Amino acid sequence: MSVLSDPRGYWDELTATERGVTAALGLVVFGLVLALLTGALGASYFLFLFGLAGMYALLSLGLNSQWGFTGLINFSVAAFFGLGAYGAALMTAGNSPIAGGLNPVVGLLVGLVLAAVVAVAIGIPTLRLRADYLAIATLGLAEVIRLIVLNERQWTNGSQGLRGIPTFFEDWPVLGTFTEVMPAIEVELVPGSPVVFGTSFWQQSLNVALLLIFLGSAFLILRRAQRSPWGRLLRTIRSDEDLAKALGKNTYSYKMQSFVLGSVIMALAGVFYAHLNLFVNPGDLDPITTFYVWVAVILGGSGSNRGALLGGFVVVAIREGSRFVGDIAWLPVGSAPLRLLAIGLLIILVMRFRPQGILPPQRELIWPSAVDNAAPSRPDRGVRDAKGGGSDD
Amino acid sequence: MTDAIETEKPAADTDATTRTNADMSKDDVLLRVENLQKAFGALVVTDHATFEVERGTITALIGPNGAGKSTLFNLVSGFYEPDGGTVTVNGVDVTGAEPYEVAEHGLIRTFQTPRKLEGMTVREAMLVGPQAQPGESFVKLFTSPGAVATAEERNLERVERILAEFEIDHLATQPATDLSGGQLKLVELARAMLAEPEILLLDEPVAGVNPTLRNKLADQIRRLNEQGTTCLLIEHDMEFVMSLADPVIVLDRGSVLTEGPPSAIQSDDTVIDAYLGGGGV
Repeated sequence: MSVLSDPRGYWDELTATERGVTAALGLVVFGLVLALLTGALGASYFLFLFGLAGMYALLSLGLNSQWGFTGLINFSVAAFFGLGAYGAALMTAGNSPIAGGLNPVVGLLVGLVLAAVVAVAIGIPTLRLRADYLAIATLGLAEVIRLIVLNERQWTNGSQGLRGIPTFFEDWPVLGTFTEVMPAIEVELVPGSPVVFGTSFWQQSLNVALLLIFLGSAFLILRRAQRSPWGRLLRTIRSDEDLAKALGKNTYSYKMQSFVLGSVIMALAGVFYAHLNLFVNPGDLDPITTFYVWVAVILGGSGSNRGALLGGFVVVAIREGSRFVGDIAWLPVGSAPLRLLAIGLLIILVMRFRPQGILPPQRELIWPSAVDNAAPSRPDRGVRDAKGGGSDD
Repeated sequence: MTDAIETEKPAADTDATTRTNADMSKDDVLLRVENLQKAFGALVVTDHATFEVERGTITALIGPNGAGKSTLFNLVSGFYEPDGGTVTVNGVDVTGAEPYEVAEHGLIRTFQTPRKLEGMTVREAMLVGPQAQPGESFVKLFTSPGAVATAEERNLERVERILAEFEIDHLATQPATDLSGGQLKLVELARAMLAEPEILLLDEPVAGVNPTLRNKLADQIRRLNEQGTTCLLIEHDMEFVMSLADPVIVLDRGSVLTEGPPSAIQSDDTVIDAYLGGGGV
C-alpha cells in the first residue's frame, strides 16, 4: 500500500508508535519551515544542518547493516567515515599532497574502494572469531587510522587538514553553474523582515540533493537486501551463527559482505561530508562520531532502516539544538555538557522503556511479493506488533 | 579445510541418475567414521571411534553421560576438528571441513538445545532451511529479482506445506521465541527437512519434551525415514530409542562399545555395565 495512492489506508496500517513518530516529525518540519520563512532560522544554515543530519543517518544505516542485521560490533565508524572523507578530499582538495584537483567522482570512488579494502583487511582475521574480537580490532583500527591521518603529513597534511575541496557538482554541466543561474528569491512572511534565498541557499540545496541521492540509494538497497533471503540469513547469523552453519551457510562470507557493505555506506557519508564542509581534518575522526552513531542505531531500533534514519536525525537535533542552550541566560549548564547529558538520558530512557528502539523492525524478512503471492492468507503486517517487541497500544 | 574434501568424488550431488549409480557403488554406507580421535588437553573424549550408518536406517547413538556422543556429532558435522581419523559422507571425505561444507554434502544436524531465532517468526526461521537460495546472493537481489521472487514463493509454499505436515502451521507467524521447547524441536526438525538432507543428525530430539509431543516427533522421524531420509540420533530416552532405531550403536568413553539391533543391545552385559558403571569405576 502506497502513501500516495491510499494515504488513509496507509495511516490506518501504522502502529501507534509510527503514528506518534509521524505526527512528531510533521510538527518539527512545520516548525522548521515556519522558522525558515520568518527568518528566525537562516536558510543556508538550516540546509547545512539537514545535510549533517542526513550524514548521520547514512552512518547509522551503515552501522545498522553491520550490527542491526548481522550483530557485527564495529567501533570504527569514525575511521570508515574518515576514509571516505579523506579519500574524497585527497583526490580533490586544493592543498592535497597527493592528487588534488581531480573530479569529485574520482574522489567518491577512491573513498569507497579505500573503505572496502580496509574492511576486508580487518575482516579477514577477525570475522571467523567471536564478535568480541571484531569489536576489539575495530576499536584499535579507529585509533590507527586517526593517528595515521594526523601524523603522516606527507600523505594527509596532518593536523592542517585538507582545504579547498570543491562542491560535488562544481565541474558538472548545468549543475556546475546552477547556483549562479538561479535568481535570489525574496519572501516576506513577516512584514518588514524579508527572507532572501540567494546563492548560498541554492548551493546548500544542491548539497541536500546530493545527500538525498546517497541516502535514498543506500536506503533502497538496504531495504531490498533486508527483506530477502540474504537479509534473513544475516539475521540468523546475528541470532545463532552455529545454526546457520549447520544449515549449510557460509557465515564467514556473509559476515564479510555485511561488514564491507556497512563500511562502504559509512565511507559514502564521509565523501558527502567532505563536499559539504569543504574542509576535513583529523578531528573529524574523533571517536565521539562513533559514539553518536551507536546512539542513533540503538535509539532507532537495531535492525531497522527506518529507525536508523530517525536515530541519525534525532542525534543531530540534540547535538546542534544544544548549541542554542548557551543563549538561555538562566541555565547554569553549558551546551557541551548538556548535549552529552541529554544523549545519555535519552539512552537510559530508551533502554528502560523501549529497549527494542523507537521504530524496531516489524516486517518479516521475506521477499514482499512472495508473502502476497504464496501466503496471501497470512500477510506479514499481521505480525508487526509482535515483532516490534509487543503491542504499541 | 576445504582441501580435505575430495572434490572428484561427489557425483552424488549432481543429479538423481548419477546419485543412484554412485550410491550403488558405495555399499549403501552413507556415513563412515573411522578411527576418529579428539582430546581436549589430556582428556580424551573421542577415542578411535569407528562406525558406519547405512542409507535408509534410523541409527541411534547411545551411551552414558560423558561418553562423547555430542562431541562425536560435533566432529562429524564439522564443528570440531578431529585430531585423527576420517569422516566420509556419501563417499566424500569431509574430515576437518567447515560445517557448511559438510552440510553441502547432505549432512544436516540439529542441536541438543533448540536454537531460538530472536526477532524472527516461525516461518522466517523455517525459510533459512532451504539450500542454495538465489536470494542468498546479494548481487542476485538486484540482477535477478524475478528468480529470487520465484524461489522465495516456492520455498514459502514448501514451508507452509511442511508446517501443515508437522501440524504446527498455526504457529507460522508466531515469534519463534514464544514457542515451547517441544514446539521448537518440531520446528527444528521441520526446518532441517527443508534443507533436503541425505542424512539427518538429531541431537536428543525428545529431551525435555512432553509425551504427546514426543510421540509426534517419533512419528515425524519415522515418516521422514520412510520418505528416504537417513537418521542418526542421540537420545537418552531408551523407550524412544528402542522403538524407533535399528541399529543401535553404544558409545562408552569415546569408543564404540558395541552395536546391533535394539533387542541385542538391551540384553548386552557390557552395555549394562557401561550404563551402571560396572566397568570398575
